[in-house]
This record gives sequence, C-alpha cells and structure tokens, in this order.
Amino acid sequence: MAAIAHKRIADAAKNLAQSLSPGPGETACQPGASFGIPALDQHLNGGICTSALHEVRCSLARDFACAAGFALGLAAQFGKQGAKKFLWVIDPAASVDSGLPFPDGLNEHGIDPKRVIFVRPITLQDALWSADQAAKCCDLSAVVFQVKGNPKPFDMTATRRLMLRARESGVLVCVLRQSGAEEASAAATRWHVEIMPSRADADFEHGPGQARHAQTLERNRHGRTGQWTLVWNPESRAFEDGTSSLETTHRVHRIHASAHRPDRPVEMGQVVDLERAS
Amino acid sequence: MKWGKSWILNARPDAPPIAVADTENNAVRIVAHEAHAAHAGIFNGQSLSDARALVPDLECHSRDRAAERKLLGSLAAWCERYTPLVALDGDDSLLMDVTGCTHLFGGEASFIADIETRLAAQGFTVRACLADTAGAAWAMARYGTERIIARDQHENAISPLPLAALRLDAALVKSLGRVGFKTIGCIAEVPRAPLTARFGAELLDRLDQASGRQDEIISPLMPVAELASEKRFADPIVHEDDIKRCIGLLAGNIIALLERRDLGVRTCELKLFRVDGEVQSLSVHASNPLRDAERIAALFHERLARLHTDLDAGFGFDIVRLNILQADPFNGGQHDLVERRDAGDGYDALIDRLGARLGRDRVLQFSFTDTHIPERRFALVPVCGRDGKTDPEQIVLPGPARTPTRPLVLLERPEPIDAIAQVPDSPPSRFRWRKVLYEIARSEGPERIACEWWRDGRASLSRDYFRVEDTQGYRFWLFRYGLYDRETARPDWYMHGLFS
Repeated sequence: MAAIAHKRIADAAKNLAQSLSPGPGETACQPGASFGIPALDQHLNGGICTSALHEVRCSLARDFACAAGFALGLAAQFGKQGAKKFLWVIDPAASVDSGLPFPDGLNEHGIDPKRVIFVRPITLQDALWSADQAAKCCDLSAVVFQVKGNPKPFDMTATRRLMLRARESGVLVCVLRQSGAEEASAAATRWHVEIMPSRADADFEHGPGQARHAQTLERNRHGRTGQWTLVWNPESRAFEDGTSSLETTHRVHRIHASAHRPDRPVEMGQVVDLERAS
Repeated sequence: MKWGKSWILNARPDAPPIAVADTENNAVRIVAHEAHAAHAGIFNGQSLSDARALVPDLECHSRDRAAERKLLGSLAAWCERYTPLVALDGDDSLLMDVTGCTHLFGGEASFIADIETRLAAQGFTVRACLADTAGAAWAMARYGTERIIARDQHENAISPLPLAALRLDAALVKSLGRVGFKTIGCIAEVPRAPLTARFGAELLDRLDQASGRQDEIISPLMPVAELASEKRFADPIVHEDDIKRCIGLLAGNIIALLERRDLGVRTCELKLFRVDGEVQSLSVHASNPLRDAERIAALFHERLARLHTDLDAGFGFDIVRLNILQADPFNGGQHDLVERRDAGDGYDALIDRLGARLGRDRVLQFSFTDTHIPERRFALVPVCGRDGKTDPEQIVLPGPARTPTRPLVLLERPEPIDAIAQVPDSPPSRFRWRKVLYEIARSEGPERIACEWWRDGRASLSRDYFRVEDTQGYRFWLFRYGLYDRETARPDWYMHGLFS
C-alpha cells in the first residue's frame, strides 16, 4: 500500500515538473555558443543561441553593408557545424537600391561565395514562404532573410513561426532588416548596427583599416541589453572586442530614416549634431 | 472568333454569312467561307468583289496567318491525347504517328471516329485518314474517299488519285499533266530513270515516301517523354484536390517503371487536357534524380499553389498525364539507414520546392568569370540550371583579409556621384551620393582596372578605384571613370560598392 502511494506521489511530482517546464514552443534556448567576449557572453547567459531567430537591423540604407557584415559574421561563426550552404532570401523591396553581396567581398569577409544560395522571389509573401521553408531545412548552415523596413505581413506571428522552425531544425535564422524601426518580434536577440571609424591600418596609415561597428543589443531574451564595439576577424571567423583600441570617443547622432511608416515623433530635447560651420 | 467555337454548329440564322479573304496575286479572293454561304453562290477562290455582288452584306474578314498557326498549334497539343508523336504539316493539317495507339481506343475505326466526333464538337470540319505511310494518309485525306486504308493496301488505294496528292509543286503537276501523266498509278508504272532525268528527284522521292519505299521522318512538336502515365476520366475533374490526388496516383504508377530501369526523375511534366480542347502543361525539375512519388507530387503541389487562380479548369479536365521528360541514373541510397536524420527536410528537397514554387530562375548561386571588371566577374545563375553539374566553376579566390580590398556589397550598377578631387589622380576630398554629402577622412588608391578593349572597343575608359572612409566611418568603393587628360578631359566619378 505504501509502495503504491509512494509511486503515485512520484508520478504526481513528475507530472508537475512536466507542466511547469516550458512547452515545446517556449523552451528556453539551449546553452548558447560563446562570442569569446566576456562582457557580451555574460549578457547573453553564456552565449548566443544558435538554433534560434536573431534580428540585425540598421537605420539607414547606407548602413546596410555593415549590418550585412554583422549578419554574415553571425552566420559564419554560429551557423550549423558541418552544414555547407547559406541561404539568403531577399525581399523584392530590399533589392531595389541596396545592391547585392559581391563574391570577392564575401570571400575576404571569410565566407566562401560558392556556399551562398540566393532566393529572390517576386513578392514579399513568396519571400516569407521561402524563409519559412528554408528555416525548416536541417541541411543548411544558416538562413539570412533580408527585408526592407517593417512590412506588415512580416509581423509577430511570422517571426514566431520562424523562431519555432529554427528551434526544430537547429538552423540559425537571421533577419537582416534594412532601414527599419524597432518592432516587437519573437527573435531571441535584436541587434542594431551602426558604423564606426575604422581601426588604423598598420601597413598604410592613410587608408581605411579594419572595420569596427557599434552593436547595440536592443532585445535580449535574457533581459539585459547593452552596447559593444565589435570587430569581425575573417581569418579566425570570430568577433573580437574592438573597444580596447577605441580612438574616437564621440558618438555621432543621426536622424533615422523610416520606411513604410510615418516617422516617430522626435523626442523633445533630442540633440542632433550638425556639421560645424568652420 | 467572337462567337466561340460552336458557332458552326449553332448557326446564326439572322446574320449574314461569314467569309475570310486574302490577297493572292494582287486580287482579293475568298479563301474560306461558312458552309451555308455556298447556297448563295460563294466559293473558294472567288474574288471578293464578285462575292460582294452576290451577297451584299457578306461579313468578310482578312486572313490572319499567325492566328491560324496558333490554332493549329493548340490543336496539335490537344491531339497529344492520342499519341505523343504529333507534327504540324503545312498550314492546315497535322500528322500523327499512331503506331501502337489505336487499340487503346478500341480499334482503328473507333479511333478515327473518336477524333472526328471530338473535333466536330469543337467546331472543326475534319478529314482524318489512317494509312501505312504519312504520304498515303496525306493523299487519301485530301483526294480519297476511304478513311482507313488496310495494311499494305495503300499503294493500290492511292494509285487512282491525281498527282497533286503526292505533295508536288503545282508547276510540276502541270508539266506532268502536259505529257499525259494524270494519276499516281501512271507514274508508278513507267521506268524511273527517265522520269528522274526529266522531272527531277522530287517526284520519285515523293512517290517513294507515299508508297513506303523511303522513310519519311516526322518531327514531333513536343519532346517525346521517356515515360508517361495517364489517367482518363469519364467525368471531367475540376477540383484542385482531385488533381492533386490524381498526380499522386500517376507518380506512384511511374515509380515502378523507374525502378525497373534504375532511373530517377529530373524533369517532369504534367499535362492537363481540358474537355474543350485546351491543354495546360506544368513542369517541375529536381536537382538530383528523384524516385519518390510523394516528393514528385509535392513539387507539383507547389507548382499548383503558385498557379492557384491562374489554372483555369473550365469545364474540367478529362485526361491527366504525367510525362517524364528527363531521367538520370538513380544513385541509390542517399540516406544513411543507421544515422538518424534531424527533423526537417534535406537541402535538395528545399531547392526543388523553392524552384517549383518561385520558378527556377529565382533560386540562384554565383558563377564566376575570369575578368577584373567587378560587375562582369560574377553572375547569378539558377542552382539546378546546369545538368548534373551543380558546383560553380573552379576559380581560385584569395583567402580572407582583415582589411578588405573588395566591398561586401556591390551596387547593381555604378551610381554617378558629384566628387571634388584634385587632378590628375588624387582621391576625392568630398562627394555627394544619393543627396548626402560625405567628407573623406581616409583613402587608399588608386587601383587601376583597365578596360577590356577586346570587348568594349578601344575608346573605352579605364577605372581608378579608391577605397575611402568618411568622417563617420562609412567605407566606400569609388572609381574615377577615365584617366585625366589621357582619356578624358573631365572624368566622372562613380560609387560602386560599400564595405562592411
């Protein structure tokens, strides 16, 4: 009798534990892959979750290249091991004025251009469908979905679906939002990329050096946000901390362009840096 | 025609007769007319003015040869329900090789009857004839009375026919007539050598083709499928679900045949024959040989999903046929039985599905050309466009670089900028691109890329590329188009790419 009661209690405890643990749709991410930058890893609870949806956005059209560089860096560093191909889905609106990845540039960025497959649908609906299908495919290393602005069909539900697909298939899905505003999404992290003056080049002091970007973690499942200066090292295919050699201290404020929606009212008292007359 | 295909059957009692006229030798003549117009005295070859005199309110249209060809083409597509070997023959006839097909329709007589009734129902006046050779069938359809010529009887059947039945020039027929040859039989009886010497080789070639001594090759309009599976319906099907179910069934039928031949599908076509004569065809491609009925069906489902409202079922489809247009040797066990695969789909399945839904030209990868001009260096080509060879050409690229020399993003075409630069070859100190002014803080260059004179001509200009960084940190790839003073007096500046 006592044994049966004991078993019942054990079963009940097991059921309780099951009901309390998050369901399949909302499981916490597996322990993530480390950036190798302690300050950043601490914010992300040990590292970035590789089988999840992440968002990289830039405010201006001319920032697209650095946002793409960061997204590709994420894909290269944290993409699925052993898988070969990247899939890059392009929203038709995004390809109008942003140009295309240049194979030689990709190669210097540490990504073999032969591994990149581009999908260029005619409509946004098709683009969403393609991204959804790609996120299901477990043979891919990473999926980059390039989208312009904040189109309505790409809403919370769509991002949530992408997140679930990514979790099931173990593929890193990265939304690359070009000139878009902050928006509620189901992504595990959202990064805002801004340009920074480059590191001085040891070989040629007048030329542009190694690129540095200011990455703002705007959304984080683990709660804490922050800003870092990161440098992509294409040789080791990893991000490095760029703060140590920070040369310019001033941050440049810019007026952000808005796409597909009226601009937000400017906050009272915001300071806009104007070019100095002298 | 604006009354639809059935206007011949449902005559237009109150309307005037219709005729089609064309210009022949500077005279406008009637080339076709409605059947009941003959009662009013209208005949083919009559001049239009005569016809107008007889029937003042004659409704006359000018001949549209392009439309006729199109109609004949669609008729040929429809005739594929009888045999895959359908060829266009001249302006007004079709040749079909029906070897081994007639028994499917219950014998030759009912085969011919089926063609005639179905085409008559569509509003065509048809003369069909079945014979051992294409030449004999052609002759009997136009000049004969019998419709089915028994085996080996075709020579006897055509011998009383006039010489025009041999598909000869009108001039040749006339000159033969002048020496007393009126029928095909006459030609067949006389010695061959003098005939060839006098009238040329064409006459006897045509005779031999009609009698079967010489092979005649007909070139079918559509590629002949390696394998095909079809389903006929007594009641036409309309719903998408029915079509999908039917595709699954047909794909299942074909798999067994593929297994026997050890093949896998690469290109596959679905033909939907509509009751009223329209034929719709959808094709899908697989990047690797495929031998899985479900996956073949799934590709067609994507294709149908894309068409969605464009697929006009009309009164329904009565034949659904699945053609295998290209099949390659199947390379066996792709999947490891022991190793459990992750949940989700494979790469090949994804590429095929994207291609089926979006079109093959929407799923792209880089291909490289050995040139230094940046925009010519690469092209985006369909992933499964090349047969069997899916990897891009081998071209050696240098490894990764900490300070890149090439931009990550290249604009579709170089965009002109307003730049202020010292002559002759300094980098710009400031420039305006897309209405924004940039002050340059750092720059490196020039890197000169000469024009390809063998392609662009001698007058084309060199480009001096600069990597520049502005005061905020934006890094651009600019070029000056033309060398100052040597190639042009006022070189223009262009923006070509953005560094990350």
